Amino acid sequence: MSGPSYAQALFTEFIGARVERVDEGTCLLSLTVEPRHLDRRSGLHSGVLTSLMDATIGIGLGYLRRDEVRHRPHATIEMNASFLADGRQGDEIEVEGRVIPDGPYGRQGRSIAFGEAVARRRPDGEVLALSRLTFAIAAHRHPSAAQGPSPGPEPSP
Amino acid sequence: MQQQHAQSAFVTYIGGRLEEWRDGYVRLGLTVEERHTNPHGVMHGGVLTTLMDEALGGVIASVRGLDDMWKAPHATVDMNVSFLSNARTGDEITIEGAVLKVGRSVAFAEAEARRKRGDVLIAKGRFTFVITRVDGRAAAEEA
Repeated sequence: MSGPSYAQALFTEFIGARVERVDEGTCLLSLTVEPRHLDRRSGLHSGVLTSLMDATIGIGLGYLRRDEVRHRPHATIEMNASFLADGRQGDEIEVEGRVIPDGPYGRQGRSIAFGEAVARRRPDGEVLALSRLTFAIAAHRHPSAAQGPSPGPEPSP
Repeated sequence: MQQQHAQSAFVTYIGGRLEEWRDGYVRLGLTVEERHTNPHGVMHGGVLTTLMDEALGGVIASVRGLDDMWKAPHATVDMNVSFLSNARTGDEITIEGAVLKVGRSVAFAEAEARRKRGDVLIAKGRFTFVITRVDGRAAAEEA
């Protein structure tokens, strides 16, 4: 296949995240904290961090699974995160996600993948947030189902 | 004081609406647009974690009272969300927040996200917040 083997979500693009690196199961995003990213206390809204941490695993997993993603999309089913420090306007943030290498990530018959992500401030590297994510990989669907508006994965609860 | 239970800049930016805010209950709404989706055309999980955080920060403020909140702001320390189903462009989403406990230094709350189409529970979240002490440094720094 040609072109990059990943796609950033419209949502994280809309937020203003930049894809800096995508590798085998890893992904590095960055973001400059602007006024639109703030919460009611004028700190970085934790939703920005959860969105980007989620995205790093979604993208990294997409890189690993390549074309299979079109037929069997993956989706977050579980996420937990801890917030260790506040981000502020003007901060440069990096978010790095890693699909757990030994975990099953969409080989035939596999349906679950695991990942972990960390958000840091640049350049001092202070950790702002940590996260663990679980993704479900949709059951096999007919290739034609990948065309047009995707019904999306229907992970079993 | 007027803006203290208004929504955050980030939730305004992504298109979330504060629909109800009263003692112990907060409800937000969102109409899913293309900008909220992932490459598979479904709503990004980050939309829900953002709205849940906002709803629960707000509902804890509703119980603590705005004066206390500004003297000693609370901040998310932990969150845990299960995504049970999804939503697509055009769907109407509702996020409801309720308090489990507001203690002296920690508060617990939970949120549910529902999709109007089919009246489906699409996500459930539990959040923990830390409350800085009224005489603590964090409150002083905010001033």
